[in-house]
Amino acid sequence: MTTMADHSAPETTTPGNTLMTTRRGIDWIGIPVVAAVGLAAYWLLPDDLGLLTRILSSALFVLSLDLVLGYGGIATLGQAAMFGAGAYAAGIAAVNWVADPFALLAVGGVAGGLVALATGALILHARGLTLLMLTIAVAQIVQEVANKARDWTGGSDGLSGIEPAPVLGMFRFDMYGRTSYLFALAVLVVALVVARRIVRSPFGLACRGVKEDPLRVSAIGGSPKLYLVALYGVAGVFAGVAGGLTAVTSGIVGLDSVGFSWSAEALVMLVLGGTGRLYGAVIGTAAFMGIHHILAASDPFHWMAFIGLFLIGIVLFLPGGIASGVERLVGLVRGKEDRA
Amino acid sequence: MTRTLRNALLGAAFGLALTAGSAGAATIKVGVVAPFSGPFALVGKTFKEAIEVYQAEHGKTVGNDTVEFVYKDLDQANPAQSKALSQELIVKEKVGYLAGYFFTPDALAVAPLIDEANIPCVIFNAATSAITEKSPRYVRTSFTLWQNTVPLAEYMAKQGIKKVVTAVSDYGPGIDGETAFKATFEKNGGTVVDTIRMPLKSNDFAPFMQRIKDAGAEAIYAFLPAGPTTLAFAKSFSDNGLKAAGIKFFGPGDITQEPDLPALGDAALGITTTFNYSRVHDSAMNKAFLAKHKEMFGSTDTVTFTSVGAYDGAHVIYQMIKNTGGKSDGAKAVESVKGMSWESPRGPLTIDPNSRHVTQTIYLRTVEPVDGKLENVEKAAFANQPDYGYKVGK
Repeated sequence: MTTMADHSAPETTTPGNTLMTTRRGIDWIGIPVVAAVGLAAYWLLPDDLGLLTRILSSALFVLSLDLVLGYGGIATLGQAAMFGAGAYAAGIAAVNWVADPFALLAVGGVAGGLVALATGALILHARGLTLLMLTIAVAQIVQEVANKARDWTGGSDGLSGIEPAPVLGMFRFDMYGRTSYLFALAVLVVALVVARRIVRSPFGLACRGVKEDPLRVSAIGGSPKLYLVALYGVAGVFAGVAGGLTAVTSGIVGLDSVGFSWSAEALVMLVLGGTGRLYGAVIGTAAFMGIHHILAASDPFHWMAFIGLFLIGIVLFLPGGIASGVERLVGLVRGKEDRA
Repeated sequence: MTRTLRNALLGAAFGLALTAGSAGAATIKVGVVAPFSGPFALVGKTFKEAIEVYQAEHGKTVGNDTVEFVYKDLDQANPAQSKALSQELIVKEKVGYLAGYFFTPDALAVAPLIDEANIPCVIFNAATSAITEKSPRYVRTSFTLWQNTVPLAEYMAKQGIKKVVTAVSDYGPGIDGETAFKATFEKNGGTVVDTIRMPLKSNDFAPFMQRIKDAGAEAIYAFLPAGPTTLAFAKSFSDNGLKAAGIKFFGPGDITQEPDLPALGDAALGITTTFNYSRVHDSAMNKAFLAKHKEMFGSTDTVTFTSVGAYDGAHVIYQMIKNTGGKSDGAKAVESVKGMSWESPRGPLTIDPNSRHVTQTIYLRTVEPVDGKLENVEKAAFANQPDYGYKVGK
């Protein structure tokens, strides 16, 4: 969260200024780069689409966490509650009623948003550690409900038999994961565009204001809690869509999708990538899951130790996350250009 | 024989490295998805060791084909990850067989994949009855809760036990066990006086022990996931005086799995379970298996039910490769092992043609010290037990 400090840096000082322009520059190209890299990966790594699809849907989930944490300052370890609600809602809808993948995403989004609004209204008066505990409690409750409602969710056996219809009636979800991957990529890019629009809207700016100084926001007549609940709800929709996307592309939903470790892992990926940047969520997820995959494939028995070392290295040398390193690099290049 | 001779000659001519490739045959890969890290890492270890023992005993080739096992780590129940890993094994590693799967959702996740790729999936553990119904390409070499519970309930009824409390962890397998027990025990004239479902993560069992006491039961049927929870439950059972009060402790054998016994200690003494394998099973084949295991890994402390699940799973895969002549045809491979019978370290096995699950002998065992070590000592055997839960339980 300290990475956000440069937002409040006075624009008159030169270093702050370059950083701001740098970030704006990256922000513009960020989304096309994600799309281009995503498409390139499709051609270059045709055998790894299963993993890549998982990365994309996880990135969407981490993006939702970035909205609440990076832009609202809401410390949460319960974001999986919304993800799981979306995944189960989409899964149950797919098994019982609809098969269209877009409709399933919508169902997931609505479920995630509703859970976020309902629980957010209850818990967002708290801040800091109290809030953190409450978010964990909410996720635990959702998980227990999913475990108890075995007739609907399959309990600990998981909800299987989700068979979505072909995308647009033409592209079947095949074994090689081509449809899944491109579908997930499209969803992620659209989500990034929407998220970018949201954080730059007056509403997004107000949320940042609440994050920086809630007292001042109330002094100028805004309601911090209202903003935060709304932001929590919006992020809940993103998380729900991510859950729905996972259900659609993997065909099964398990209790792990509401689990504490999923929330915690998302937080690790976000911090790794860099908070409050949107594309930091994508970078962090791709880096964490990619490295996890390579290490686990080369040594399935001891990879965890190496992951630990990698994380410690990042925290030591790039405290603002990988994205901050990219920004510094771009800033360095720009600085040279300016001087030249 | 001539082919072997020719190969040997070729080998002599071109050196070791060339013979391996010049056998004129393919390498058939088997993908094993299981927990190799994290809290369940022991499961993956037992799988891998048992497979290596099997390969040491039976060779790494079937006909002309070399069989190679590829391991993928799935450290906890995570069906989406299970599907991604299995997909990678099929698409990238080009495996001809999938195997492993400790948790039910992970096994269920691959059903659409194996159907589309026409690849057999041999489940080494995941024990919910419904799995094999989801695809005709599943074969299972472990057990189900129904399979273990039905003979136990019948035995208890025959012992003249009338009033029983069931105490299970509140999740899929626990509820399976409760349902199977209640149905069988009441059919045989007993009464289940209370059914207790305990939260999966609880560590304090004193209140449940009070409930069991108050219910006036003669015995309990308990199922918890193997590991620390079972440990706490068994300790609480003796600490709260239920053991001293003469209440008998029954359950499926997962709760007294061999690697946990040293930690369970005296609290485990006298727990009576039914299960498909005990490390001290008295047969020549089991002794040979243990001896080979000890020779290769230095100890047999971790040998347990997941070991034989993988050992027999490897056997089924070898047979499938043999029956299909190394050609990749999942439907045909599965068809070819239906009804197959063989002798395993745990006893005689048959693959039931309907459920594609092993029909096996279930043993009644009591935890007793053997040579200073706690073991599940077999007291009785119930032969030819099928999966009673197939198309019945959930």
